[in-house]
Amino acid sequence: MDKLARLAISEEGFIFDPVSGNSFTTNKTGLFNLKALKEGKGEEEIVQALTEKYETTKEGAEKDVTDFIEQLRYYRLI
Amino acid sequence: MKKVCVAVSGINAVDNPGPGIGVIRSLKEDSVLEIEAIGLAYDAMEPGIYMDWLVDRVFILPYPSGDKEGFLNRLLYVKKAANIDIVIPTLDAEMPVYIKAADYLQSMGIKTFLPTKSQFELRGKTKLTEVANKIDLKIPETRIVTSYEDLVKALNDIGLPVMVKGLYYKAYRAYTYQEATGYFNKIVAEWGYPVIIQQVVSGEEMNVIGVGDGTGGSLGLVAIKKLWITSLGKIWTGVTVKNEALLNAASNFVKEFKWRGAFELECIVSKDDIYLIEINPRFPAWVYFATGVGINLPARLLKAALGLPVEGKNEYSAGKLYVRYTYDIVTDMSIFQSIVTKGEC
Amino acid sequence: MKESYEKPVILKLQMGLMNKFGASYLKRTRTEIDGVPVNKLIEEFGSPLFVFSEKRLRRKYKEIYNAFATRYPNVQFSWSYKTNYLNAICAILQQEGEIAEGVSEFEYEKARRLGIEGRDIIFNGPYKPSHILEKAIREQAIINIDHFEEIYDLEEIADKLGQKVKVGIRLNMDTGITPQWSRFGFNLETGQALDAVKRIAYSKKLILNGLHCHIGTFILEPRAYAQEVEKMVKFAYQIEDEFGFKIEYLDIGGGFPSQNRLKGIYLPPELAVPSIEEFAEAICDTLLRSLRPNDFPELILETGRVIVDEAGYLISTVHAAKRLPDGTKAYVIDAGVNLLFTSFWYKFNIELDREVQGVFEPCVIYGPLCMNIDVIDEHTQLPPLPRGTRLIISPVGAYNVTQWMQFISYRPFVVLINSEGKIEVIREAETLEDVVRKEKLPARLKLVQ
Repeated sequence: MDKLARLAISEEGFIFDPVSGNSFTTNKTGLFNLKALKEGKGEEEIVQALTEKYETTKEGAEKDVTDFIEQLRYYRLI
Repeated sequence: MKKVCVAVSGINAVDNPGPGIGVIRSLKEDSVLEIEAIGLAYDAMEPGIYMDWLVDRVFILPYPSGDKEGFLNRLLYVKKAANIDIVIPTLDAEMPVYIKAADYLQSMGIKTFLPTKSQFELRGKTKLTEVANKIDLKIPETRIVTSYEDLVKALNDIGLPVMVKGLYYKAYRAYTYQEATGYFNKIVAEWGYPVIIQQVVSGEEMNVIGVGDGTGGSLGLVAIKKLWITSLGKIWTGVTVKNEALLNAASNFVKEFKWRGAFELECIVSKDDIYLIEINPRFPAWVYFATGVGINLPARLLKAALGLPVEGKNEYSAGKLYVRYTYDIVTDMSIFQSIVTKGEC
Repeated sequence: MKESYEKPVILKLQMGLMNKFGASYLKRTRTEIDGVPVNKLIEEFGSPLFVFSEKRLRRKYKEIYNAFATRYPNVQFSWSYKTNYLNAICAILQQEGEIAEGVSEFEYEKARRLGIEGRDIIFNGPYKPSHILEKAIREQAIINIDHFEEIYDLEEIADKLGQKVKVGIRLNMDTGITPQWSRFGFNLETGQALDAVKRIAYSKKLILNGLHCHIGTFILEPRAYAQEVEKMVKFAYQIEDEFGFKIEYLDIGGGFPSQNRLKGIYLPPELAVPSIEEFAEAICDTLLRSLRPNDFPELILETGRVIVDEAGYLISTVHAAKRLPDGTKAYVIDAGVNLLFTSFWYKFNIELDREVQGVFEPCVIYGPLCMNIDVIDEHTQLPPLPRGTRLIISPVGAYNVTQWMQFISYRPFVVLINSEGKIEVIREAETLEDVVRKEKLPARLKLVQ
């Protein structure tokens, strides 16, 4: 999670990676996931937290978190 | 005087610059007008967004290739958010939507000063002959091609080198069949058929810009010659000229077609002949050149749109030099961040 | 109270693509077609599903008919079967007052089977075998000749029947647009058309009473039609004055564009496509200006696409979402180029059956075929779509339900929402039996049970 820790993340969903120089945008649930990952939470915990805060099912959240992490991996952010 | 809020597009002051920054700078230098300038951008990287000494606020618009309703809704949002009085579009691709929606925008309290649809259509390269004939200009030998066979035939007829052009955008000079075929394919892939093959005429490249009042009168004309162009064909240095034949042709153009709004005629002067190469239904990126020699065309257009008196002075000196230069801005990411997340700043 | 959810997305900002809105500032949702919920349609008939709106079809026909009929006193529309020859569609347009236009034996027979009289069928096209040509002549169909061989065929049939046969000839010409359709009919500028007229006059077996032309497809330039009409009228009078025939109709073909987005055209159709009024004005003004006093030959229009395209929708369903190695989002839907042949040249309007929250991201939409060419949209912007989202694709009313193919799957139901808002099936979904019915398996190849 070192890579995540170095990111500058704004409340508006703007992300800057000072090492690669890349910028990203994310939405509110993406921001939620990023913060949770930064805090070191695991996938299951995040899914649980998502379903508590948002109107979504466990199955839906699971799929989405997997895809989100896949995106982070693709962007080499984790 | 009451402050006028003007939205201007084309603030992409890059190596292939849009005219927006030149327009805004001109407006702000007018001695009568008090201007608040709203930049309309299509990308967070358009340098005008960061030029806060000229551009007061910026809004991102959806691309004009998307649906018309979405585009206009966004403009109405800008109207509501920034209370714009008038919009001056400066990019080719957005002219059709503004021209079509001019009455609607007017009814929503956004003024424009644009050519009519039929005037706008004159810029089509297939219509150039009609225009040139009416205002006594020549045009280079031209073929409209839609197949490889047509292309080869056109190359045989005209002879190399040739200009290979899209109907509205892109123009390349080709010296060989291979080059011509390459450009032909490139244009077809990007813009579709037809492709225009044109004889290369040698001579002095001269351009005239002006504003027509819509009833046949001209609100000012300035002619220049390009001295140095970039590899993209953009003017880098230029000089004002007073070629009477060229200026007369431009003023006939305005009179004959009752042109309304800004325009640029691109010509090649070869001995006594003047060839019409292109009509642009908007200001060119070097529009500030005219302002610099005392003919502030953007301000005149704005005054005409607002129904204010327009100064009649049409004299400028030949031999004034135009020099472009590059400049650097260093800023932090806050503006960028706001543009990418909120679409405005 | 929980907050509304949207799928978490992170997007890298890329040079040249930093526009928050892209091309889609509007959220496009469609929950119903003519008042019938999309969900109800799919529950009943499955996905994918072609849906036609009778209301839109009739309204569009009337709008276009009126544009011409209010400008010229003698107008007849002729339904272009190849655009959409579903019986129900043809019957609706027949009710509205159209006659039929076919370009093959199949289309001719299909129109006859539906109950259209031969004299109300225009028979066009470059391939009219003698037996069907003879049948069409016996039934007094309107024949437009495509080439010299057809003149000889017709003369033979005239001899056989012992009667003079009325015919029209198809012309092709330069109308200032490209590409110029020169493969059909006789060329005007080279004198070929005049040669055809001479031949017809010389043999005295045929009576030339009409001119036909069709200058191209998806034409965005009203002036091209004005040129077409002007040249046709001029040629008609030349024929009348020099050969004594009376040209009773001018069939100017079709080719008017619909509100579809042609690939390769930058501007959206609302801006790129002229209104039908502009076409009607260019055509009728030129006619009235060119015709002699009190001469009003029948103006026939074979308009297909512009009438039916926007009456057709295809509802399809997101089957899977995946991420490509380059990071692009991809969706697999249950309808591909097998059903949407026109996707090769159109970029369709794609609407969603529900409001989907989330950031729009660039994506590609694939059909279900196991083939690389099966792409419905190479590049569009959509919010993250959950599996099962319905995509309502339009306009698809023209050319798809005729050019579709039965390739590795069954063709789906086609339903009509009638003017009262009721659903009527106008073509049932195919079954395995439908597909294999014509096959014969030699006994020696039968698999042992």
